[in-house]
Amino acid sequence: MGAPVIRTSYRLNKVLTAIARQHRMAATLTDEDLAGHALSDEERAALKTGDTTRLYQLGANPYLIRRVFRSRFSL
Amino acid sequence: MAEIVAAALTSHAPLITGRPDIARPEQRDRLYAGFREVARRIAAARPDLLVMFVNDHIQSFPYSNMPAFCVGLADAYDAPSAGASRLMQIAPRKIRGAPDWSLALLECGLAGGVDFAYSYELETWDELAVPLHFLLPDGRLPIAPVYTNCGAPPLPTPARCRDVGAFVGAFVRSRPGTERVALLATGGISHWVGTPETGRINPEWDHRVLDDVARGDVDRLAGLTWEEIERDGGNGGQEIRNWIALLGAVPGWKGEVLAYEPVAEWITGCATVWVRP
Repeated sequence: MGAPVIRTSYRLNKVLTAIARQHRMAATLTDEDLAGHALSDEERAALKTGDTTRLYQLGANPYLIRRVFRSRFSL
Repeated sequence: MAEIVAAALTSHAPLITGRPDIARPEQRDRLYAGFREVARRIAAARPDLLVMFVNDHIQSFPYSNMPAFCVGLADAYDAPSAGASRLMQIAPRKIRGAPDWSLALLECGLAGGVDFAYSYELETWDELAVPLHFLLPDGRLPIAPVYTNCGAPPLPTPARCRDVGAFVGAFVRSRPGTERVALLATGGISHWVGTPETGRINPEWDHRVLDDVARGDVDRLAGLTWEEIERDGGNGGQEIRNWIALLGAVPGWKGEVLAYEPVAEWITGCATVWVRP
Protein backbone atom coordinates (compact mmCIF):
# COMPACT_ATOMS: atom_id res chain seq x y z
CA MET A 1 0.00 0.00 0.00
CA GLY A 2 1.21 3.48 -0.76
CA ALA A 3 0.94 6.48 1.51
CA PRO A 4 -2.62 7.38 2.51
CA VAL A 5 -4.14 10.20 0.53
CA ILE A 6 -7.03 12.48 1.39
CA ARG A 7 -9.80 12.03 -1.11
CA THR A 8 -13.14 13.64 -0.44
CA SER A 9 -16.32 13.45 -2.48
CA TYR A 10 -18.68 16.13 -1.28
CA ARG A 11 -21.45 14.54 -3.32
CA LEU A 12 -21.11 11.19 -1.55
CA ASN A 13 -20.77 12.75 1.88
CA LYS A 14 -23.82 14.93 1.30
CA VAL A 15 -26.07 12.00 0.48
CA LEU A 16 -24.63 9.82 3.26
CA THR A 17 -25.11 12.64 5.78
CA ALA A 18 -28.73 13.05 4.69
CA ILE A 19 -29.40 9.34 5.19
CA ALA A 20 -27.48 9.15 8.47
CA ARG A 21 -29.54 12.06 9.81
CA GLN A 22 -32.68 10.02 9.24
CA HIS A 23 -31.09 7.48 11.62
CA ARG A 24 -31.34 4.91 8.88
CA MET A 25 -29.03 2.00 8.29
CA ALA A 26 -29.11 -0.03 5.12
CA ALA A 27 -27.23 -2.74 3.26
CA THR A 28 -27.91 -1.03 -0.06
CA LEU A 29 -29.54 2.23 -1.14
CA THR A 30 -32.29 2.70 -3.70
CA ASP A 31 -32.93 5.18 -6.49
CA GLU A 32 -35.52 6.74 -4.20
CA ASP A 33 -32.86 7.29 -1.51
CA LEU A 34 -30.61 8.98 -4.06
CA ALA A 35 -33.28 11.09 -5.78
CA GLY A 36 -32.24 14.71 -6.15
CA HIS A 37 -28.56 14.04 -5.46
CA ALA A 38 -26.01 14.79 -8.17
CA LEU A 39 -23.76 11.72 -8.33
CA SER A 40 -21.45 10.15 -10.87
CA ASP A 41 -22.44 6.76 -12.27
CA GLU A 42 -19.65 5.16 -10.26
CA GLU A 43 -20.75 6.82 -7.02
CA ARG A 44 -24.36 5.86 -7.62
CA ALA A 45 -23.43 2.25 -8.30
CA ALA A 46 -21.34 2.00 -5.14
CA LEU A 47 -24.18 3.38 -3.02
CA LYS A 48 -26.75 1.09 -4.61
CA THR A 49 -24.64 -2.01 -4.04
CA GLY A 50 -23.40 -0.97 -0.60
CA ASP A 51 -19.79 -1.36 -1.76
CA THR A 52 -18.07 0.12 1.29
CA THR A 53 -14.55 -0.33 -0.06
CA ARG A 54 -15.37 1.43 -3.32
CA LEU A 55 -17.17 4.22 -1.45
CA TYR A 56 -14.04 4.75 0.63
CA GLN A 57 -11.88 4.82 -2.48
CA LEU A 58 -14.23 7.33 -4.09
CA GLY A 59 -13.92 9.71 -1.15
CA ALA A 60 -16.81 8.93 1.19
CA ASN A 61 -16.05 9.64 4.83
CA PRO A 62 -15.47 6.32 6.63
CA TYR A 63 -17.50 7.38 9.70
CA LEU A 64 -20.47 8.03 7.41
CA ILE A 65 -19.88 4.76 5.57
CA ARG A 66 -19.98 2.92 8.87
CA ARG A 67 -23.10 4.68 10.12
CA VAL A 68 -25.15 4.08 7.00
CA PHE A 69 -23.82 0.66 6.03
CA ARG A 70 -23.24 -0.71 9.54
CA SER A 71 -24.73 -4.07 8.59
CA ARG A 72 -21.92 -4.52 6.04
CA PHE A 73 -19.32 -4.71 8.80
CA SER A 74 -18.80 -7.91 10.76
CA LEU A 75 -17.40 -6.04 13.76
CA MET B 1 -6.15 31.73 41.27
CA ALA B 2 -7.94 29.14 39.19
CA GLU B 3 -5.98 25.94 38.78
CA ILE B 4 -5.86 22.65 36.88
CA VAL B 5 -6.38 20.00 39.56
CA ALA B 6 -6.69 16.87 37.42
CA ALA B 7 -6.04 15.66 33.88
CA ALA B 8 -6.71 12.40 32.11
CA LEU B 9 -6.78 10.80 28.67
CA THR B 10 -9.12 7.99 27.68
CA SER B 11 -10.35 6.23 24.59
CA HIS B 12 -13.97 6.36 23.47
CA ALA B 13 -15.79 3.73 21.41
CA PRO B 14 -19.49 2.88 21.38
CA LEU B 15 -18.84 -0.83 21.89
CA ILE B 16 -16.95 -0.26 25.18
CA THR B 17 -20.31 0.10 26.86
CA GLY B 18 -22.50 -1.22 24.05
CA ARG B 19 -21.12 -4.74 23.85
CA PRO B 20 -19.30 -5.66 27.07
CA ASP B 21 -20.32 -9.26 26.40
CA ILE B 22 -18.17 -9.74 23.29
CA ALA B 23 -14.83 -8.59 24.76
CA ARG B 24 -12.51 -10.99 26.51
CA PRO B 25 -13.53 -10.64 30.17
CA GLU B 26 -10.00 -10.05 31.44
CA GLN B 27 -9.44 -7.24 28.91
CA ARG B 28 -12.81 -5.67 29.61
CA ASP B 29 -12.30 -5.82 33.37
CA ARG B 30 -8.82 -4.29 33.23
CA LEU B 31 -10.03 -1.43 31.06
CA TYR B 32 -13.11 -0.82 33.20
CA ALA B 33 -10.84 -0.80 36.28
CA GLY B 34 -8.73 1.86 34.57
CA PHE B 35 -11.81 4.00 33.97
CA ARG B 36 -12.90 3.54 37.59
CA GLU B 37 -9.49 4.61 38.86
CA VAL B 38 -9.62 7.79 36.74
CA ALA B 39 -13.11 8.42 38.16
CA ARG B 40 -11.85 7.99 41.70
CA ARG B 41 -8.94 10.39 41.14
CA ILE B 42 -11.09 13.03 39.46
CA ALA B 43 -13.57 12.91 42.34
CA ALA B 44 -10.73 13.16 44.86
CA ALA B 45 -9.45 16.30 43.12
CA ARG B 46 -12.83 18.01 43.79
CA PRO B 47 -13.08 19.90 40.49
CA ASP B 48 -15.74 22.54 39.80
CA LEU B 49 -15.62 22.01 36.03
CA LEU B 50 -14.52 19.39 33.50
CA VAL B 51 -12.99 20.81 30.32
CA MET B 52 -13.14 18.18 27.58
CA PHE B 53 -11.04 17.91 24.42
CA VAL B 54 -13.16 15.80 22.09
CA ASN B 55 -14.17 15.37 18.46
CA ASP B 56 -17.28 15.12 16.36
CA HIS B 57 -17.96 12.04 14.20
CA ILE B 58 -19.73 13.88 11.34
CA GLN B 59 -22.79 14.02 13.58
CA SER B 60 -22.89 17.73 14.31
CA PHE B 61 -20.77 19.15 11.56
CA PRO B 62 -21.60 18.33 7.93
CA TYR B 63 -19.27 18.82 5.00
CA SER B 64 -21.05 22.09 4.22
CA ASN B 65 -19.63 23.64 7.40
CA MET B 66 -16.64 21.98 9.06
CA PRO B 67 -14.89 23.83 11.89
CA ALA B 68 -11.32 22.95 12.85
CA PHE B 69 -11.93 23.93 16.49
CA CYS B 70 -15.32 24.59 18.06
CA VAL B 71 -16.30 25.66 21.57
CA GLY B 72 -19.57 24.23 22.88
CA LEU B 73 -21.88 26.89 24.33
CA ALA B 74 -24.84 24.63 25.10
CA ASP B 75 -26.64 24.68 28.44
CA ALA B 76 -26.50 20.87 28.43
CA TYR B 77 -25.16 17.98 26.33
CA ASP B 78 -26.62 14.60 25.51
CA ALA B 79 -24.44 11.91 27.05
CA PRO B 80 -25.91 9.95 25.35
CA SER B 81 -28.91 10.97 23.27
CA ALA B 82 -31.89 8.61 23.10
CA GLY B 83 -30.75 7.35 19.69
CA ALA B 84 -27.14 6.74 20.74
CA SER B 85 -28.34 5.17 23.96
CA ARG B 86 -29.56 2.10 22.12
CA LEU B 87 -26.16 1.36 20.60
CA MET B 88 -24.14 2.28 23.69
CA GLN B 89 -26.48 0.51 26.13
CA ILE B 90 -26.41 3.36 28.63
CA ALA B 91 -29.40 5.39 29.69
CA PRO B 92 -29.99 8.71 27.94
CA ARG B 93 -29.06 11.66 30.10
CA LYS B 94 -28.08 15.31 29.88
CA ILE B 95 -24.95 16.72 31.46
CA ARG B 96 -24.90 20.40 32.30
CA GLY B 97 -22.65 22.66 30.24
CA ALA B 98 -20.75 25.71 31.44
CA PRO B 99 -21.84 28.27 28.83
CA ASP B 100 -20.52 31.32 30.67
CA TRP B 101 -17.08 29.76 31.07
CA SER B 102 -17.09 28.53 27.47
CA LEU B 103 -18.16 31.93 26.15
CA ALA B 104 -15.30 33.54 28.05
CA LEU B 105 -12.88 31.04 26.46
CA LEU B 106 -14.34 31.78 23.03
CA GLU B 107 -14.01 35.55 23.48
CA CYS B 108 -10.50 35.21 24.86
CA GLY B 109 -9.58 33.05 21.86
CA LEU B 110 -10.99 35.48 19.32
CA ALA B 111 -9.17 38.34 21.04
CA GLY B 112 -5.94 36.37 21.29
CA GLY B 113 -5.47 34.66 17.96
CA VAL B 114 -7.41 31.39 18.29
CA ASP B 115 -10.44 31.75 16.05
CA PHE B 116 -12.71 29.08 17.52
CA ALA B 117 -16.04 28.36 15.93
CA TYR B 118 -18.88 27.95 18.40
CA SER B 119 -22.09 25.95 18.70
CA TYR B 120 -25.13 26.24 20.94
CA GLU B 121 -26.36 22.76 19.98
CA LEU B 122 -24.15 19.77 19.38
CA GLU B 123 -25.26 16.30 18.39
CA THR B 124 -22.95 14.20 20.48
CA TRP B 125 -21.94 10.59 20.06
CA ASP B 126 -19.59 8.42 22.10
CA GLU B 127 -16.98 11.14 22.67
CA LEU B 128 -18.85 12.33 25.77
CA ALA B 129 -21.23 9.53 26.69
CA VAL B 130 -18.91 6.53 26.94
CA PRO B 131 -16.11 8.01 29.06
CA LEU B 132 -18.52 10.04 31.20
CA HIS B 133 -20.56 6.93 31.92
CA PHE B 134 -17.55 5.78 33.94
CA LEU B 135 -16.05 9.08 35.02
CA LEU B 136 -19.13 11.10 36.05
CA PRO B 137 -21.56 8.45 37.27
CA ASP B 138 -23.71 11.02 39.04
CA GLY B 139 -23.43 13.49 36.15
CA ARG B 140 -23.25 16.49 38.47
CA LEU B 141 -20.00 18.11 37.30
CA PRO B 142 -20.58 20.63 34.48
CA ILE B 143 -18.60 20.10 31.28
CA ALA B 144 -17.05 22.53 28.81
CA PRO B 145 -16.28 20.71 25.55
CA VAL B 146 -13.75 21.93 22.97
CA TYR B 147 -14.21 20.07 19.68
CA THR B 148 -11.37 19.46 17.24
CA ASN B 149 -11.89 18.12 13.73
CA CYS B 150 -10.32 14.65 13.85
CA GLY B 151 -12.63 12.92 11.39
CA ALA B 152 -13.08 14.93 8.20
CA PRO B 153 -9.68 15.66 6.64
CA PRO B 154 -7.89 17.89 6.00
CA LEU B 155 -7.47 18.24 9.77
CA PRO B 156 -5.68 20.81 11.90
CA THR B 157 -2.07 19.76 12.44
CA PRO B 158 -1.13 18.06 15.70
CA ALA B 159 1.22 20.98 16.37
CA ARG B 160 -1.69 23.40 16.08
CA CYS B 161 -3.73 21.18 18.43
CA ARG B 162 -0.91 21.37 20.99
CA ASP B 163 -0.87 25.15 20.69
CA VAL B 164 -4.65 25.48 21.00
CA GLY B 165 -4.47 23.22 24.07
CA ALA B 166 -1.75 25.47 25.50
CA PHE B 167 -4.04 28.45 24.93
CA VAL B 168 -6.88 26.70 26.79
CA GLY B 169 -4.54 25.81 29.65
CA ALA B 170 -3.35 29.40 29.96
CA PHE B 171 -6.96 30.59 29.86
CA VAL B 172 -7.92 28.20 32.69
CA ARG B 173 -5.11 29.49 34.87
CA SER B 174 -5.80 33.15 34.05
CA ARG B 175 -9.33 33.09 35.43
CA PRO B 176 -10.04 35.11 38.55
CA GLY B 177 -11.29 33.23 41.57
CA THR B 178 -10.49 29.78 42.85
CA GLU B 179 -11.97 27.59 40.11
CA ARG B 180 -10.73 24.00 40.25
CA VAL B 181 -10.64 22.60 36.72
CA ALA B 182 -10.20 19.01 35.55
CA LEU B 183 -9.15 18.30 31.97
CA LEU B 184 -10.18 15.23 30.00
CA ALA B 185 -9.31 14.28 26.44
CA THR B 186 -11.07 11.33 24.78
CA GLY B 187 -10.38 9.37 21.59
CA GLY B 188 -7.82 7.04 20.03
CA ILE B 189 -5.65 5.19 20.25
CA SER B 190 -5.29 3.18 17.01
CA HIS B 191 -8.45 2.09 15.24
CA TRP B 192 -9.72 1.81 11.72
CA VAL B 193 -13.44 2.68 11.41
CA GLY B 194 -15.44 2.38 8.21
CA THR B 195 -12.33 1.96 6.06
CA PRO B 196 -11.40 -1.24 4.20
CA GLU B 197 -9.18 -2.08 7.21
CA THR B 198 -12.01 -1.76 9.75
CA GLY B 199 -11.16 -3.77 12.83
CA ARG B 200 -7.41 -3.37 12.57
CA ILE B 201 -5.57 -2.26 15.73
CA ASN B 202 -1.85 -1.44 15.92
CA PRO B 203 -0.63 -2.11 19.50
CA GLU B 204 2.96 -1.25 18.56
CA TRP B 205 1.96 2.27 17.57
CA ASP B 206 -0.30 2.55 20.60
CA HIS B 207 2.64 1.74 22.88
CA ARG B 208 4.76 4.34 21.11
CA VAL B 209 2.06 6.95 21.74
CA LEU B 210 1.71 5.87 25.36
CA ASP B 211 5.50 6.00 25.84
CA ASP B 212 5.50 9.60 24.55
CA VAL B 213 2.64 10.45 26.89
CA ALA B 214 4.46 8.82 29.83
CA ARG B 215 7.51 10.97 29.10
CA GLY B 216 5.38 14.06 28.59
CA ASP B 217 6.90 14.32 25.11
CA VAL B 218 4.10 16.27 23.48
CA ASP B 219 6.47 17.66 20.87
CA ARG B 220 7.14 14.24 19.32
CA LEU B 221 3.41 13.64 19.09
CA ALA B 222 2.85 17.15 17.76
CA GLY B 223 5.38 16.44 15.01
CA LEU B 224 3.36 13.56 13.59
CA THR B 225 1.79 14.12 10.19
CA TRP B 226 -1.71 13.17 9.09
CA GLU B 227 -0.19 10.59 6.76
CA GLU B 228 1.87 8.94 9.53
CA ILE B 229 -1.12 8.75 11.87
CA GLU B 230 -3.41 7.45 9.13
CA ARG B 231 -0.88 4.76 8.17
CA ASP B 232 0.01 3.61 11.70
CA GLY B 233 -3.01 4.52 13.83
CA GLY B 234 -5.83 4.50 11.30
CA ASN B 235 -8.49 7.12 10.75
CA GLY B 236 -9.56 6.69 14.38
CA GLY B 237 -5.98 7.29 15.49
CA GLN B 238 -6.36 10.87 14.25
CA GLU B 239 -8.29 11.44 17.49
CA ILE B 240 -5.02 11.62 19.42
CA ARG B 241 -5.24 15.31 18.48
CA ASN B 242 -7.45 15.59 21.58
CA TRP B 243 -4.74 14.01 23.75
CA ILE B 244 -2.13 16.31 22.22
CA ALA B 245 -4.28 19.37 22.97
CA LEU B 246 -4.61 18.31 26.61
CA LEU B 247 -0.87 17.69 26.92
CA GLY B 248 -0.32 21.14 25.45
CA ALA B 249 -2.42 22.59 28.27
CA VAL B 250 -0.20 21.11 30.99
CA PRO B 251 3.42 21.56 29.88
CA GLY B 252 5.81 19.22 31.64
CA TRP B 253 3.10 16.94 32.97
CA LYS B 254 3.55 13.20 32.39
CA GLY B 255 1.16 10.32 31.84
CA GLU B 256 0.65 7.30 34.06
CA VAL B 257 -0.91 4.54 31.99
CA LEU B 258 -3.61 2.93 34.12
CA ALA B 259 -4.86 0.54 31.44
CA TYR B 260 -4.12 -0.36 27.86
CA GLU B 261 -6.01 -3.08 26.06
CA PRO B 262 -6.15 -3.64 22.30
CA VAL B 263 -9.71 -4.96 22.27
CA ALA B 264 -10.28 -6.58 18.88
CA GLU B 265 -14.01 -6.98 19.49
CA TRP B 266 -14.36 -3.25 20.13
CA ILE B 267 -12.07 -2.51 17.15
CA THR B 268 -10.04 -0.09 19.27
CA GLY B 269 -6.74 0.19 21.10
CA CYS B 270 -8.28 1.31 24.40
CA ALA B 271 -6.45 3.18 27.16
CA THR B 272 -6.96 5.21 30.29
CA VAL B 273 -4.13 7.51 31.36
CA TRP B 274 -3.75 9.79 34.35
CA VAL B 275 -1.69 12.93 33.67
CA ARG B 276 0.08 14.81 36.45
CA PRO B 277 2.95 17.21 37.19
